[in-house]
Amino acid sequence: MSRVLIIGLGNVLMGDDAFGPSVVEALNAAFQFPPGVTVLDGGTPGLNLMPLMMDYEVLIVIDTVKSKGGAGEIRLYRKADLSPAARSPRQGPHEPGLDEVLTALDLAGRGPAEVLLVGVIPESVETGTGMSGPLRAAIPAAIRVVQTELARFNLAPRPKPAAETPSPWWEAA
Amino acid sequence: MKVTIDPITRIEGHLRVDVEVDGGEVRNAWSSGQMFRGIEQILQGRDPREAWFFTQRICGVCTTVHAIASVRAVENALGLEIPLNAQYIRNLVLASHALHDHIVHFYHLSALDWVDVVAALKADPAKAASLGESLSPWPGNSRKEMEAVKTRLATFVERGQLGIFTNGYWGHPAMKLPPEVNLLAVAHYLQALDVQAYANQAVAILGGKTPHIQNLAVGGVANAIDLNSESALNMDKLFQVKDLLDKVATFVQQVYLPDVCAVGALYADWLKYGAGVTNYLAVPDLPLDGKGTQFDLPGGTIMNGDLATVHAIRSFDDQYFRDHVTESVAHSWYAGNGEPRHPWKEDTVARYSDFNPDGKYSWVKAPRFDGKPMQVGPLAQVLVGYATGHEPTRRWADLALSTAGSIAHARLSPAVLNGTLGRHLARAVRAAVLSELAIKHWQLLVDNVAKDDLSIFHEPVFPEGEVQGFGFHEAPRGTLSHWAVITNGKIENYQCVVPSTWNAGPRDEKGQMGPYEASLVGNPIADPKRPLEALRTIHSFDPCLACAIHTLDVEGNEIAKAKVL
Repeated sequence: MSRVLIIGLGNVLMGDDAFGPSVVEALNAAFQFPPGVTVLDGGTPGLNLMPLMMDYEVLIVIDTVKSKGGAGEIRLYRKADLSPAARSPRQGPHEPGLDEVLTALDLAGRGPAEVLLVGVIPESVETGTGMSGPLRAAIPAAIRVVQTELARFNLAPRPKPAAETPSPWWEAA
Repeated sequence: MKVTIDPITRIEGHLRVDVEVDGGEVRNAWSSGQMFRGIEQILQGRDPREAWFFTQRICGVCTTVHAIASVRAVENALGLEIPLNAQYIRNLVLASHALHDHIVHFYHLSALDWVDVVAALKADPAKAASLGESLSPWPGNSRKEMEAVKTRLATFVERGQLGIFTNGYWGHPAMKLPPEVNLLAVAHYLQALDVQAYANQAVAILGGKTPHIQNLAVGGVANAIDLNSESALNMDKLFQVKDLLDKVATFVQQVYLPDVCAVGALYADWLKYGAGVTNYLAVPDLPLDGKGTQFDLPGGTIMNGDLATVHAIRSFDDQYFRDHVTESVAHSWYAGNGEPRHPWKEDTVARYSDFNPDGKYSWVKAPRFDGKPMQVGPLAQVLVGYATGHEPTRRWADLALSTAGSIAHARLSPAVLNGTLGRHLARAVRAAVLSELAIKHWQLLVDNVAKDDLSIFHEPVFPEGEVQGFGFHEAPRGTLSHWAVITNGKIENYQCVVPSTWNAGPRDEKGQMGPYEASLVGNPIADPKRPLEALRTIHSFDPCLACAIHTLDVEGNEIAKAKVL
């Protein structure tokens, strides 16, 4: 049984929105993960997150977030912070995001008990591949947060003997 | 009075709808894509063999469909035939993906427009069970199940966790289902969570991964077939896929289709709303040969809702389709003189100005077929199937119409499908057809492999000079086409004409409305502050505006509002 899902969200064709998938690439290049830990580039699946997130005990999400602050600053959120209770009426069928997926899974008793959202404030989310300097620089900080979180569950990843250089396919010429 | 709903979609690009309401009814409407789609430009100069890797990132929901359309476009440019196994494997991926998409769209996205979840707490579980058992042999309609679901829901409400559901328009005057139907719907919502995961697993086994499949290649697929190898596509994996497809088919046929029939019948007063553009376009899919000249799903056009006008689209190289697609930017924020252009000749040069309902007001272009706006999606698929005498479509559509008719005590003909509820009904019919054909194509693959044909790939060869190709796929939301111009083995121009562009596009140079716009005119609006009726109609198209970005808004900012001016 898989215990932990680490999922990077975002569109790799939209500048800084590639942060989540980029952290996933960097994690895979640097570490070996113990059994029970799944690492996934999730893209931007909306409610299609449901099948990906079902039946895990712990969920670690890496994504860009809207928040006050400078580009590249990391913000951490727990499950209770993601409650949609204060939101205005639901408008669109594809509007559901992470919070709504978690609500649906919880109603079914299939949601994670613990959630950590590792959010980064983007500089520029526009069509094009490649991230801004501040977001590239924020990757190591996001990785440390993921490592610390995994250590809480005694599932810390082991550094690869020869760390690879991450080379996301979407940044190749 | 003018009502602006902004955004309608958040994740898959940003859709805004403006409606003019007078006397409780929509008199005029504008559909506006609020985000620049320029992703095609990223492809210029790249290797055409890698284009599908990029195109499947255009939209996070429709990943596989953009991958499949892309490899088909490049193969078309090269005149490249692919091995039968590759065709069947692709067919299984696309059918499983479509089944997943349709189930999620109905239960987890749009049912909340019709189902009042909070009202389910007033239901009598025994009555709900007997109602469910009268509609279907599905074992999940038992009294025990209904009691368990009601208890689960009550606990959830007590803990204040309702989330998505409290954000629905519960208690709205347009919500009309009896409590027992609401309870059945909540039970099926929960059961559908498992079923959509099965469909997703089938895609993952064949595609290597979800949400982004890894197994495609220009020229075929990358799934090595070796029935005795652990690492290849073997009998064990094939039987896993079969088991998943069987479970999905049972749910679609015994739960999804009857549910939509019941909702349609209980909201029969809604059958008259939301027809809009009744020109329909669907392309053929589930090819049965390597070239794409024979298909298990028919394609064609229908004009003015008249099934007798059906004109078939017959092959991957169909000239009727190729020659009649254009896009107009007369009301879209792009450079150009407003003359409609063929996708091979188009460019995508942004020229943003303000929202001007009489001028330019959308980032979405206006695709036209022979100069006419066309509705695409399951309704087009089903009507084209019906008109061409496609046996499975006729059988399932007739069953759906007679089931809905018996609940509504009315005789329903295919003409009632032209509208908001008809789009939901047609989607369920299409899902039933796909659930059957997926299993057929599984058998075709297994039979072909049993003949010792293990071929999966034909090497593409790019000529000197320019070649042009188009590839289409009849995706869950409708006709998707990719258009590629390739020079000396590099992409020179690339355009995606996507289903939601056909449906959500603005007016064209002749002032003809797009399908979303036209479908809203005449809709009732009981409460302009909560324009549920307009949302019902837009949601029935399953809107998904390609070009997803995904910045999470977690700090309680208002994410959407209906503004009344």
